Amino acid sequence: MSTKRHGKIWIEGMDTPLLNKTLSGRNSGDEPGDRSSVSILPDVWIIKIGGQSIMDRGKSAVLPILEDLVAAHQRGVRFILCTGGGTRARHVYSLGLDLNLPTGMLARLGSTVPVQNARMLQMLLAKDGGIVIYADDFDKLPFFLNSGCIPITSGMPPNEFWEKSAAVGLIPSNRTDAGVYLLGEFLGAKGVLYIKDEDGLYTDDPKKDPQAKLIPEISARELLDSDQDDLIIERVVLEYMVRAEKVRKIQIVNGLKPGEVNAAIDGEPVGTIIRAE
Amino acid sequence: MKAMVKDDGRTHLDSALMRESLVSKSLIENTDSVTVQRMVPDVRVLAIGGRSIMDRGREAILPLVEAIAELKKEFRLIVGVGGGARARHTYEIGIDLGLPIGGLARIVGGVEENNRDILQFLLAPHGGITFIKEHFQDLQLFLANGMIPICIGQPPYHFWEPPSKEKGRLPDNGPDVGLFLQAEVIGAEQFIFVKDVDGVYTDDPQKNPDAKFIAEITARELLDGGYPDLPIEREFLRTLDNARSVTSVRVINGLNTDNLRRALEGDAVGTIIYSRRHPGTGGKNR
Repeated sequence: MSTKRHGKIWIEGMDTPLLNKTLSGRNSGDEPGDRSSVSILPDVWIIKIGGQSIMDRGKSAVLPILEDLVAAHQRGVRFILCTGGGTRARHVYSLGLDLNLPTGMLARLGSTVPVQNARMLQMLLAKDGGIVIYADDFDKLPFFLNSGCIPITSGMPPNEFWEKSAAVGLIPSNRTDAGVYLLGEFLGAKGVLYIKDEDGLYTDDPKKDPQAKLIPEISARELLDSDQDDLIIERVVLEYMVRAEKVRKIQIVNGLKPGEVNAAIDGEPVGTIIRAE
Repeated sequence: MKAMVKDDGRTHLDSALMRESLVSKSLIENTDSVTVQRMVPDVRVLAIGGRSIMDRGREAILPLVEAIAELKKEFRLIVGVGGGARARHTYEIGIDLGLPIGGLARIVGGVEENNRDILQFLLAPHGGITFIKEHFQDLQLFLANGMIPICIGQPPYHFWEPPSKEKGRLPDNGPDVGLFLQAEVIGAEQFIFVKDVDGVYTDDPQKNPDAKFIAEITARELLDGGYPDLPIEREFLRTLDNARSVTSVRVINGLNTDNLRRALEGDAVGTIIYSRRHPGTGGKNR
């Protein structure tokens, strides 16, 4: 026969400070104190290859970057490669918006293209150890990395139908930049690097405004407060950075410039560095 | 076939978002819409409390199971459930071990599966089946065959759980958020929290006898009102406030199962929480 206290099943060892709290946020969150946590894979880099910026340029952009990445791999740099979506993702978002589909459905639709890109990169990197991994494989990462593989995965977070509606607009707020950042934050990664086709962050989109100026270093807070219309990175990444515990810095480099990826891995201030504060 | 555009070295598909970063505020504003298409608009989602109902055992669960079996003859229902005491214990141990927030979010769903499986077992004679995310798009198949899909609440953000907006180290997103988001993308007709109190109070009525009952309130008022012990997740309130399809939810006392029928029939039982997009709020929460 079960023991009950206050009408609820009770067993020895079940009493904890949280037990009779609703896990509603502020009040329950007071209990555990500080936010320090273990780092899961502190020596691993998370590197994102842009969809529209790199993949959609085809071999002229992709192959030199892969050469640089293989060189890094061969000198012992451990990394997980993540992919963006790009033009086909924009096309399906366009179609979805035209049909007035909800945000969760758009996030679902946006999830397929980065997987295509991951599979493309895997075929090109197979001879160097490239393998595709999915969300369910992440607790096997040490096995893949220790056996000399280059894990390649979609940058999209697994939210899909569970992506929240935003205050304004229907496009999912969490796309591949966010997924890549959150993965780095969870793993306590060595660094999070975004390979794009610009030198970094500009005061406006340099493809449209030739007056736009490069910003070599800035804080997420400044960038959020500057309220500029366009950014090189998804806005939620900046919001997450301000609250995050582990990844307090991200770097955006120009993959069209040879050597820039390895320079960033070696700690050089190439491209744009965004710090949390 | 849409045209391919290759003038800047990238191959674009000609679409409204061509060349766009999808980050531009003005572009995002242009994609806004107050309402969206609904997937299965005649379904109702019941969120059964883990701590408030399941942890009470047979006295609370069996009458509720009976009521759901009966009401399923008139209403198309999805039943979701939280983790209760075991979820709290998971967090305690996980935090003590120093697991990051994404790690906590990854493991907590496991104890919700216990509660889902218990409800599925008990409802099986009446068509109860487990409803997992891989079968999300099979919902009509299940409902059309008289089944009662039963699912866990925790959203599948797993390792990708964002850093918390609140103090401390608990994930912001729990079963309230996850079940609501299912209802939202489905475009459900109704969302009902089934708890062990009559609705939302100014404080926890089981601890504070002076707590006052609230019959109707907006999500924003609940968030900003300084209420010390809300029976629902704060992040759920933020999520509700941005939702396009489901613009109100009801919180009822499931220890009296008559409340469930009344809520499904549209009676003003328990507490109703409105989002800023609900037509009934008259814009007062904007």
